[in-house]
Amino acid sequence: MIQPCNINDSNEAPCSNNFLLRGKLKMPRGWSSRASVATRILGWAGLFALIAVAATAQAQKKSATTAPALKAAAASDEAPVKAIGSKSAPITMEVFSDYQCPSCRLLYEQTLKPLINEYVATGKVYLIHRDFPLPMHKYSTDAARWVNAGAKIGRYPEVEAALYDNQDAWSADGNIQKFVAAALSPADFKRAEKMVEACVADSTGIKPASLNLTPQTHECSIDEAIAKDKALGNTVPVTQTPTYRFYYKGQAYPPTPGYVSWPILKQFFDSLLNQ
Amino acid sequence: MSDSSRRRAGRILLIGGRIILGGVFIAAGFVKLRPVVHGMPWSKASVNTSLAMFAMQVDSYQMLSSSSANLVAHALPFAELALGLWIVSGLWLAVPSLITTLILGGFLTAMIRAYALGLEINCGCFGPGEKVGPLSFVRDGAFFALSLAVTIGAFLIARKKSARESSNASTAQFEQAR
Repeated sequence: MIQPCNINDSNEAPCSNNFLLRGKLKMPRGWSSRASVATRILGWAGLFALIAVAATAQAQKKSATTAPALKAAAASDEAPVKAIGSKSAPITMEVFSDYQCPSCRLLYEQTLKPLINEYVATGKVYLIHRDFPLPMHKYSTDAARWVNAGAKIGRYPEVEAALYDNQDAWSADGNIQKFVAAALSPADFKRAEKMVEACVADSTGIKPASLNLTPQTHECSIDEAIAKDKALGNTVPVTQTPTYRFYYKGQAYPPTPGYVSWPILKQFFDSLLNQ
Repeated sequence: MSDSSRRRAGRILLIGGRIILGGVFIAAGFVKLRPVVHGMPWSKASVNTSLAMFAMQVDSYQMLSSSSANLVAHALPFAELALGLWIVSGLWLAVPSLITTLILGGFLTAMIRAYALGLEINCGCFGPGEKVGPLSFVRDGAFFALSLAVTIGAFLIARKKSARESSNASTAQFEQAR
């Protein structure tokens, strides 16, 4: 009687003589080498996976410990100049952005505009802008100066809209004032221009004759506001623009970088408001 | 090392790999569902907020429409939990391990694409706060290799099992014929 070939048997002689069973019962060719490779891959991959999980857990622990600091930073900022909406709104959204950054424009045009119309206007969200001009953008600091100057005279939303709506045009030649002038009344524009020119004079050492600057008036408070925003951004830390974070019922939510569409952001706000 | 001891080591590693991979998927699903703010109690509302926050991370990859990103964000954590449990259970291992390999390959591709485009976004892999970058590539690459190895192991075992079954059937036929 021919013994059935068991795959675990070491003696293959009886079955290897049987033409009907050969091939079906033999170990697949190259099995042991493949098993050995698979074993090694499994071992190394498992080791890497464990190390990576431990590293991720450590990074998240670090991120969790910074949350109270974020909360404290927001609470200490009693009167941000560049903000829209009611301070008593249940949700606060803080956006770090650069006026010359295309993603920031996309966020403003596609997401923040409907947010302002639907949730800020109805008192659900308080929207704070933070300047985070990136060194790679030639005119972003100038743009931030114009917006801060606009904010000082109570025209922040108009200047911000003018800059984002015409980003392509002024990014090419740096002629920002043309669009700010179109967005403000002549008197308001003069006041804003004077503030911006004071800062330009401060940073370049060149004093425009029209300004008639004295040591007392030669102050650049708007650059201080930008520097303060940037310092705050570095504590988040902001690594790209736009980056935004939320506060709800005294709790700071983790910062989120990148673009987000309005339906997705709206869903998040609704989930917070339904808590 | 003899063939039988090598096979035994392979089986032990496959079980270990299966448990690690299943555990990773269970953990990934769990952290996406847990409250995003430390100390917040679990509730239906907290899960909704966590899923809405995860939807923002999926949306930031800029690969899908808002509705698709939303669908993925609401389905993925539960799918990860289910796949993790399925892999740990070891039932028809080749099927869930193949699915996880494909999913992990998709994650890795999406992350590399985002990085290549200069999107310094959150990975979203294990909850908020982790950037897409070399660390996440290495980690997900390791998971992908592990998943691939488990899949190969599972298929080899399934093949061996089917060969054994067909051997038994052939033997029975042979015996009947005699």
